[in-house]
Amino acid sequence: MSAVFDDGLSLIGVRRMMEGVIPPVLCTFSKDRIPNVSYLSLCEYVDPLHIALSYQFFNRSRENVLATRRAALTMDDPYTGGGVALQIEYQRTETEGPVFERLRAKLMGVASHHGMDKVFHLRGADIYRVLEMRRVPGRKELTAAQPRVDLPTNSRLLSERMANCEDLSDLLETFLDGLAHQLRIDHVMLWLTNPAQQTLTLLASRGYEVDGAGAEISVGEGLVGTAVREGVPIRVGHMMNMATYARAARDRADESGVTRTLQSEIPLPGLKEPRSQLAVPLRARGKVLGALFVESLHDQYFGYDDEDALMMLSGQLAVAMSLMQPQEHEVPAPVAAKPPAAAQAGPALRLKRFVRDNSVFLDDVYLIRGVAGAILWKLVGEFVRSGRREFTNRELRLAPELRLPDVQDNLEVRLLLLQRRLGEQQSAIRLEKAGRGKMRLCIDRPVNMESSES
Amino acid sequence: MALTEDMIQLLSAGVAHQVGGCTNAGRPVVCRGMAAQHEAGRLLVIISSESGFEVLEAIRQNGNIAVNVTLPENYRSVSFIGNDAVVRGSGAAWRPLVNERHEAFRQQLIRYGIPPGYTNAWYSAADEQLVAIRFTPMLARNQTPGPGAGEALALKPIEFEK
Repeated sequence: MSAVFDDGLSLIGVRRMMEGVIPPVLCTFSKDRIPNVSYLSLCEYVDPLHIALSYQFFNRSRENVLATRRAALTMDDPYTGGGVALQIEYQRTETEGPVFERLRAKLMGVASHHGMDKVFHLRGADIYRVLEMRRVPGRKELTAAQPRVDLPTNSRLLSERMANCEDLSDLLETFLDGLAHQLRIDHVMLWLTNPAQQTLTLLASRGYEVDGAGAEISVGEGLVGTAVREGVPIRVGHMMNMATYARAARDRADESGVTRTLQSEIPLPGLKEPRSQLAVPLRARGKVLGALFVESLHDQYFGYDDEDALMMLSGQLAVAMSLMQPQEHEVPAPVAAKPPAAAQAGPALRLKRFVRDNSVFLDDVYLIRGVAGAILWKLVGEFVRSGRREFTNRELRLAPELRLPDVQDNLEVRLLLLQRRLGEQQSAIRLEKAGRGKMRLCIDRPVNMESSES
Repeated sequence: MALTEDMIQLLSAGVAHQVGGCTNAGRPVVCRGMAAQHEAGRLLVIISSESGFEVLEAIRQNGNIAVNVTLPENYRSVSFIGNDAVVRGSGAAWRPLVNERHEAFRQQLIRYGIPPGYTNAWYSAADEQLVAIRFTPMLARNQTPGPGAGEALALKPIEFEK
């Protein structure tokens, strides 16, 4: 039996109705034709003839669907008030695979954001074939708002600018500037994964009162952590609506709220009352290197088209980041030791490291941890011992004590993060580029180093 | 069975209405409702004959009906099920009730950033398209999201005048 769609209607064309701003409505019926009507939490586009509905609880709707396999679904356009009515037929329930993972990630992203991880458990993705889709008649529709920018054209412009960048710092600046100017996205964070610790470190942000570089969250925490764990984008377009929905479910389950799993010493940037958020994984070479997180004070600011555009640009960014390491033959030989060029004055700077997680404190103020912390400890140690100020990336990559996980961990990115943290702290230690594949350590005060095993 | 006091209050609090049916041939149908009120043990629901033509046809066939009302501010959601629904009465007489319910619903949505004009698309039926459906709820179900959704809620016996 072929599907019957009204002229001009397609499933991909009504994806924005699946966002949940106006929750879709499902009507099922029992074998004796008694109907049941309920709201859905998630509806997902699968292909031109199929959709997936989240299966979280065994309830009347599910009992009916398993008995009769048929349902009606209505969805409303969040911009115009128009709507579509679908006749759908249950096919199967998937408990793994890309559709299930996408639904689970969205559900967990939203749930985690509202402290609902334990309540919103996805049991399966129910796949339905669409038999019929018609416009709901008799509605006086509003005119849809114009898109804020020409996304395809402006994304291409930004992509071309990124392709012209020669180093990582330039690439990041171009990317963040482009999001603001080409795509009109004013609040952005760029996160890096730390695979060994199962954490994420904030590399850079734009549009916040605090920069937050070096702040950490756990993989799986919030929208960003969930997008990284599942490797799929997660978008919440109407925070008030989802917050109310989540609160209702939490009240029902009598669950308590979640606390942050990492108590970061660095304050996290973020909007106090965001209305739209989108987290996109940075994927390259089959791995998730981090995540791009964007948010807005406006409802429904990010649509499917934004998700598509940011997935493409983030993919380009991730590949470029993983490639922007000098090839071995390009890297100059280690630089010979030199005496300090600048005089060091003032009271001694106290540099303390905790070996357990390589966290480093400057005058008792937290600076950084992990690979970036280990790098700083090594550089300053060399400087104190020999007076060396210039180092090559290659010698760091080969240094056994740094235990860099693999080449994709991207030393350049860690160095950039360290450089930003030092700059943000306005400390007596700075890290400067000294040519391709080289860096220079600048220290203005004498240093006392102290290492602690605990 | 009749609605409890809190259910009756819910009907006028600014709820969204969804009205479902199923034809004898097994075609499920659903449309937006525009108003509901309690009338001596029965539930009255107003829908548009244009957007709800399939629901009206299903109800005329077998009298089976499900009406869901949900309050946006807390997602409290209740479904009423009946099997004796009849389509009876249409026209301008229902306009005051529809306007009252529309205004309460609009006030609910404004706090979520949905502009006042948005819901006009759903309430744009002409007077002659307003159709009344009446039925006796035989069952009420809690549909508030979360565990326990779908559980039966207690109704009270209908009290007949002596």
